[in-house]
Amino acid sequence: MANLNTESVKQRTFDAIVIGSGMSGGWAAKELTDNGLKTLILERGRDVKHVKDYPTTNLYPWEFPHHGVLPMAVQEANPIVNRCYAFGEDSAHFFVKDAEHLYVQVKPFDWIRGYQVGGKSLLWARQTQRWSDFDYEGPARDGFAVDWPIRYKDIDPWYSHVEKFAGISGNRDGIPELPDGEFLPAWPLNDVESYFSDFVKKNYKNRYVISARCAHLSKPNQIHLDQGRSQCQERELCQRGCPFGGYFSANASTIPWALRSGHATLRPFSVVESVIYDDKAGKATGVRVIDTHTKEAIEYYAKVIFVNAAALNSNLVLLNSKSTRFPNGLGNDSGVLGKYFAFHNYSAHIGAEVEGYTEWTTDGRNPAGGGYIPRFRNVYKQETDFLRGYACGLSAYRYRQHKYDGVGADLKENLVKGDLSPWYIGSHMMGETIPKETNFVALDSSKKDEWGVPLLNISVDYDDNDMKMQKDYVEQLTEMFTSAGFKNIKASTNHQAPGLDIHEMGGARMGKDPKTSILNEWNQVHSCKNVYVTDGACMTSTSCQNPSLTYMALTARAANHAVEELKKGNIT
Amino acid sequence: MDRRTVIKNLALVIGGATLLPSCIKGSGNYIPLKHINITADQEKLISDICETIIPKTDVPGARELNLHVFVLKMLDDCYKKKDQQAIMKGLGEFNALVQKRYNQSFGDLSVKDREAVLTGIENSHKPKAGGNKPPARSFRPQKDLHVPPLDAFYQAMKQQTIFAYTTSQFFMTKEIVYELVPGRYNAHFPVKNLKTA
Repeated sequence: MANLNTESVKQRTFDAIVIGSGMSGGWAAKELTDNGLKTLILERGRDVKHVKDYPTTNLYPWEFPHHGVLPMAVQEANPIVNRCYAFGEDSAHFFVKDAEHLYVQVKPFDWIRGYQVGGKSLLWARQTQRWSDFDYEGPARDGFAVDWPIRYKDIDPWYSHVEKFAGISGNRDGIPELPDGEFLPAWPLNDVESYFSDFVKKNYKNRYVISARCAHLSKPNQIHLDQGRSQCQERELCQRGCPFGGYFSANASTIPWALRSGHATLRPFSVVESVIYDDKAGKATGVRVIDTHTKEAIEYYAKVIFVNAAALNSNLVLLNSKSTRFPNGLGNDSGVLGKYFAFHNYSAHIGAEVEGYTEWTTDGRNPAGGGYIPRFRNVYKQETDFLRGYACGLSAYRYRQHKYDGVGADLKENLVKGDLSPWYIGSHMMGETIPKETNFVALDSSKKDEWGVPLLNISVDYDDNDMKMQKDYVEQLTEMFTSAGFKNIKASTNHQAPGLDIHEMGGARMGKDPKTSILNEWNQVHSCKNVYVTDGACMTSTSCQNPSLTYMALTARAANHAVEELKKGNIT
Repeated sequence: MDRRTVIKNLALVIGGATLLPSCIKGSGNYIPLKHINITADQEKLISDICETIIPKTDVPGARELNLHVFVLKMLDDCYKKKDQQAIMKGLGEFNALVQKRYNQSFGDLSVKDREAVLTGIENSHKPKAGGNKPPARSFRPQKDLHVPPLDAFYQAMKQQTIFAYTTSQFFMTKEIVYELVPGRYNAHFPVKNLKTA
């Protein structure tokens, strides 16, 4: 029996464990296995193999039972996830349904999740803009949260590292607040977007409209072909999973790469209940997993553990990892675990009509989505009555206008015929929010999920700063659109709950001081150095750029640090 | 992974297109409904209305394309219960209205009279001139129908018939060309070079 146990423990022992197989977990797995570490990748959901498990990817609209519309029963049963723009008949199988994993909305919060291998990397909007020191120095300069323990120079090479592998299209725009990277050719702006870009450049200081940088292979390099990926075909059906591997997902890229190394074991259907901390050894020794099929608890052991369960679930795992040493959650000596949670403010957009350019249109589809306006407020100095600022998505388009009056042969003909509409231009805000102690997540004191894990209480809301920023966005964009000669300008604000931005961040923030942060400059838990947290949970502040690229870079950097620490014997 | 694997994946892409479920197309004029009850007479009425909205011309119409089957499926699956009730109530009112005006059922009317009935309902409830009519770019079911039953019935019929037609395989391959794999983005493209259907 003793021998059997020893053998069983041996089989459950790895060099490294990665909790989560999505955007950041995939990167941890890739980097660790590239360095020869025997790595266990844990995923709470099912496996989704590239191409093979994209059942809708090649369907034409008429091949869906409701031609793309979700049945009302599905919509009514899922008010939360149904608010996500990407949740449709072609993609619903990649989203967590509301009843599948409950949480407590102390304040309204739309938690959008993808529980499968690849996680939300199958579903993301693929926007990839680097952060700069205007972001990393933000909290220190403006006196909120805590100072980031890193600066741009620390992460610059790691941005390059992940960009080369993931494949990022973009122009070298030479904008200090949005540093250039390792780019594949950009998708171009269309005529109206270009006009606006030129207009803004000429008339505004430090404001730019650039081609959005995105994780699509405009022109693959050998490293992308080596992954089995090929050129983006401009389908814009990304949420179905891409059979070409045209955009970066863990499924198309990092996970199969890690598995091909021969060093990785992928275990789906594995909910991580907690990280096991050994009080005697003074370190984490493994994780406790609940098999979602058998409900059986199984322990796995490793020298180093990467927590990449996505921001909220990583907080949940850490909070639920209680021991004599850490009665309030792993690494939570400071009491800040779960606090200073933040998100992105997507609460306004604006649209207008554009005169002219009637002889021109576009042909095909633009996977980058159009233009991007980097943050221009409070960049070099504080200039408004709110802190920080917002970036803007921007796109111009026209469409065929049909007459829908009446019935019969004329109507039928009108459904084919129709003049092109004038050009329209639209923009939405992406605002930085300020992490606060009062925006937090915590374990529910009584309610548990079907795997015996406490439900997460989420208490996150907008504040005055967000509302002032929203007002400023509307004012500034209205002014810019007006000066540019756009007509019929209409701004609107929404009351979407935090979470629907799907940019939730923080709770286990990085910082210099263990008294006010959970993680150090290498994403190690201050007081438990063989545990790394490198997904959205680690974020000290939110900037206003889409965060995934930064998660990837932080993860690659941390994984290589872990490899060095193992070599040096600092982690055993 | 090497280039051969890439090619293999691409073959899967292309091969995938032939392995698709045929869904409801070609399933004849019977369709099992889950949420609403439709009699044979009502099904015929809906089919007649579909054909009146999208008649056979030099290209197939609603009957030939079996559009009413899809319309019924949408009514059954994609509307709220209260809207389904309004639509069914509206269907009854529609029958009564036709009977009262023509002393015949809709199916017995001439094409001209059928069109007159439908456009009559449409015109009597048009937004007033200058009203804020949103550009109709999608005929997906509205989240909520906020109109009296007869209009709810008419709107649902018209929207879903148009949606059925414009997303049908016939329309998307013969009348316009829907591209699953465009493989291009031209940001600066002359309108005059657009393919017209």
